[in-house]
Amino acid sequence: MGNPLDNTEIINILIEEIRETVPELEGQPISASDSMVDLGVNSIERSEVILAAMERLDLKIPMVQLHGPKDIQELADLLLVKSAG
Amino acid sequence: MRIAVTGIGVASGLGYGKAAFLQGLFEARGVFSELTRHGREPAGGEPPFVGVELDEPPNVLPARLARTATLSSRVAMAVLQEAWQDAGLDQVDPERIGLVVGSSNPMSREQALAAQRYADKLEFVPPRHGHMFLSSDIAGLCTSVLPIRGFSQSVDAASASGSVAVIQAMDAVRSGRVDVCIALGALQDLSGYDLHAMRSLGVMGGADHAARPGEACRPMDLAHYGFIYGEASAALVLMRKDLSMSHNSYGDLIGAGHIADGSRGPEPNSEGQVRAALNALAQAGLTAKQIDFVNGHATGTPQGDFEECRTYHSLELHHARINATKSIVGHGMSAAGALELAAVLLQIKEGRLHPTRNLENPIDESFDWVKAEPVSHEIRHALKFSFGFGGINTALVIAAP
Repeated sequence: MGNPLDNTEIINILIEEIRETVPELEGQPISASDSMVDLGVNSIERSEVILAAMERLDLKIPMVQLHGPKDIQELADLLLVKSAG
Repeated sequence: MRIAVTGIGVASGLGYGKAAFLQGLFEARGVFSELTRHGREPAGGEPPFVGVELDEPPNVLPARLARTATLSSRVAMAVLQEAWQDAGLDQVDPERIGLVVGSSNPMSREQALAAQRYADKLEFVPPRHGHMFLSSDIAGLCTSVLPIRGFSQSVDAASASGSVAVIQAMDAVRSGRVDVCIALGALQDLSGYDLHAMRSLGVMGGADHAARPGEACRPMDLAHYGFIYGEASAALVLMRKDLSMSHNSYGDLIGAGHIADGSRGPEPNSEGQVRAALNALAQAGLTAKQIDFVNGHATGTPQGDFEECRTYHSLELHHARINATKSIVGHGMSAAGALELAAVLLQIKEGRLHPTRNLENPIDESFDWVKAEPVSHEIRHALKFSFGFGGINTALVIAAP
């Protein structure tokens, strides 16, 4: 990544990947305070979303270090922290 | 126990559904062209591959599922839906319905593309790739969408997979394990790697026909020189005859033979073919003389066609009308046995036999080939051959309903 990451960029990418993975959410607003579980994204799909987002952000973080966040905002925060090493 | 076929779903270069299939077969419509699906590019300097590619399957899956399903799985769902509705299976107890999928390395092209895409970034391999390239994922997807709760499995018998799926489904109904069993021949999605290997092996033709792809596929013709690939899939609903009385029936499966001849690779074996046919006829309680129609395996490889004619001679099938469905739709590989059985059943219903495309100078004039024109023919007992690499020989005897 040429520019340092910020949370908004990560949040937008996560939401785009959620929409790609669950096309049925089309037309439904998704915000940073939503959790993937509450949006109906299943566990395999949640991994898909996170890996696809990491590929776009060129972040290589083991999935086991990404458990815990309760919503998209917290997931973005964690990705940002981990990406900084 | 007689087993009736009460539902059929098909996909081939002629289109999706029985109506397009039947019309295209009787017209012997030309569907061969250069293969252009991503992942089938020839090596630099080599002629393009020739064959048949399907249109996009109809959307029968929710978008969320469709994006996680391979082409083979999506096409399987399309043919299964057609067969399911045709047979009215919503009325049957789900625990009395089974599914046997005949497949052989079914998602090779998409898996090769995925391996290329993630070659230097394996960290990002999508989790769904852990299940979606397994042959069992076809049955997994099908049973997750439709209420099939008896059992499901995949069987691999190379190009006889579709036929072996039918035979396994017959056994499941006969044994009482289920009352209804669906046999599905899955699309074998060949990669460029597979196509090159088949060409190198000397079994696949088309290399000299890039400019005239419609003339490349010539089963049983003197100018044959290899099979031509054709994407396809088909599903057949097999039902206990005594339970099928209220259903429309295309025909009855009354005999099956499935034997190993001891070959490992692609070499055909007439003795094995004859033994499979005799087993099927014995089970049906018939002799070869009572067979009035033969639908060959007939791929268009010189060795395979000659060996199969030896089989017709041994069985003295000179009185029977013979055609080759591959001449029109190409070689469906693991789907071929199921698709061609569908063709047999539809021809029984129509009382007509489809032409054998490009059969201008038969390699053996002593047989009663159906050549360029369709012919009216009331089929009472048909014999259908399917063979697979690895010494697999199958024969099915089908009776008019």
